[in-house]
Amino acid sequence: MIDIFSTPALVTIILGSVALLIPIIDALNKERGTKNKVYSAIAFGALALALVVVIYRIFSGENLPALSLTNTGVIADDIFGAFFSIAFLIVSIMVTVSSWSYMKKKSNHAAYYSLILLSSIGMILIGYSTDFVMLLVAWELMSIPTYALAAFNKKDPISNEASIKYFLFGALSSAIIILAMGIVYGLTGTTNIYDSIVGMSQLNADLIPFGLLAVGLFIAGFGFKMGLVPFHMWLPDTYSGAPTTIATLLAAGTKKAGFAAAIRVIVIGLIALNVHWTFTLAIIAIFTMTLGNLGALTQKSIPRILAYSSIAQAGYILIGLAVAPYSNYGLDASLLQIMNHAVMKSAAFIAAAGVIITLAAYTLEKYKGLGFRMPITAFVFAISLLALAGVPPLSGFWGKYLIFGAAIDSGQMIWWGPYLAIAGVLNSALSLGYYAWIIRKMYMEEGENRVRQKEPKSIVAVLLFALGFMIIFGIWYGPLLDLASMAVPNDLIHLISTK
Amino acid sequence: MNQPTDFLYIAVILMSIGIYGLVVKRNALRLIFSIELIANAVNLALITFSRMLPSPQGQVFVLFSIAISAAEVAVGLGIIIIAYRFYKDIDITEYKNLKN
Repeated sequence: MIDIFSTPALVTIILGSVALLIPIIDALNKERGTKNKVYSAIAFGALALALVVVIYRIFSGENLPALSLTNTGVIADDIFGAFFSIAFLIVSIMVTVSSWSYMKKKSNHAAYYSLILLSSIGMILIGYSTDFVMLLVAWELMSIPTYALAAFNKKDPISNEASIKYFLFGALSSAIIILAMGIVYGLTGTTNIYDSIVGMSQLNADLIPFGLLAVGLFIAGFGFKMGLVPFHMWLPDTYSGAPTTIATLLAAGTKKAGFAAAIRVIVIGLIALNVHWTFTLAIIAIFTMTLGNLGALTQKSIPRILAYSSIAQAGYILIGLAVAPYSNYGLDASLLQIMNHAVMKSAAFIAAAGVIITLAAYTLEKYKGLGFRMPITAFVFAISLLALAGVPPLSGFWGKYLIFGAAIDSGQMIWWGPYLAIAGVLNSALSLGYYAWIIRKMYMEEGENRVRQKEPKSIVAVLLFALGFMIIFGIWYGPLLDLASMAVPNDLIHLISTK
Repeated sequence: MNQPTDFLYIAVILMSIGIYGLVVKRNALRLIFSIELIANAVNLALITFSRMLPSPQGQVFVLFSIAISAAEVAVGLGIIIIAYRFYKDIDITEYKNLKN
């Protein structure tokens, strides 16, 4: 039975009621489609309230469990889910506030904010779900609104094309996930994640190939959303074609939800089945990092560069998942990087959205001299690019540092651990190539003119928040790391080794 | 009499047809059909497992799965109708504005 006062239930009620309320207000309103600011403010209020509830529940001293492995219900009220909820809510707040400026000249505002809220509920419930049925419902609640949001510029064929690609791959990925869940259910006779993992670890030898098939299908299904390399082909097109604020939601939100599901299912399930198969994740991580960075080097449009860079970042995060069974802080490091990446990538995409609103500029060439024309946007964009590259003392540095540290640490138990760290460091250097190139274009080269443009207010506010986050949690990273290690049980390795 | 495994074979055949359609066809509607075939093959397999085990969870799962696929296809068809207005065609090889 679900407790109505548990965090996921409360957050769902808050966000869900507001998401349904906004279209009702719009339908009752006489001048339809003119209240962008009101809806943006309402959505922001709901998301902020949800964020307060989640943070209050962590620190209210109720001793929430870290990652409740043994939960038999459909959702578990644990710190792991709360950690992801905080990341998703911060991203949704940044998207909603920046849409205040971005959606000003567009139509159908009520549907837009309502769909963003529904998608956030889906993402949050993925972090909390401990049952395959719940996971599937949450996964679709996250995905279906984003298909519609990606096609939101109805008059623009590019937005539509982005959405078709996203929809076809997204529908395929959910079919694959249902297939994997079906196989696991057939093998173990339960839809509870923990029970099925226990069942998988006690399989007969002749059924183990089916178990591995299920885990492979899970990697493929979640990998589509995470943007892992053999499944990444839709990602650059969709991120560059969709409205830029929605690309933020996809890159920083739904991608992280894929990781939440992957940690709940694959990492723990794979370990139960056969620990040596984490090598697969390691190989995917190396390919993801390298192809993402090489792809970004050849692009000329800023949203496409950011899309490829988010593929590369998924590779770094995956290193932490691959070494999770061998290192005490592999998962902690991944969670820290997930939180940091959510803010850094949102800041970069929202800065690009600000440039698109003001100058209608997409390509790298048009970013010449941006440092003089839009100083705040350009400065935060530059800082977020440096943070993505992992330059100390910005927040992205600590995530990468800990991930590579965990990879080296795992070298005591497996031979390939340190090679992951080497590949990661080389890729960071490679990525600095195109990040520095953009910064050079913005500050060192002369643009069309040096006239200072008026920057959209709400986007400046979001960017200043992100700037504060990146610098404060870069210098003083302790609290975030503590929260990340609270979310992962310390005895995960023992649980696994004694299975 | 029909054995439960017969239904599993049918599920595998349906799924193969779905995968064939995904790989070969380039019409957006046919792609949606193919994805739906895969999902429905899984639904059939889930019901069969639920009968074989026996446990009712699989059948509940299928109800959720059917409802969700319906919602998904509704959104997808909407997107394809908008695409048809732009191109007067639903062949996905026509959609290549986004190649750089």
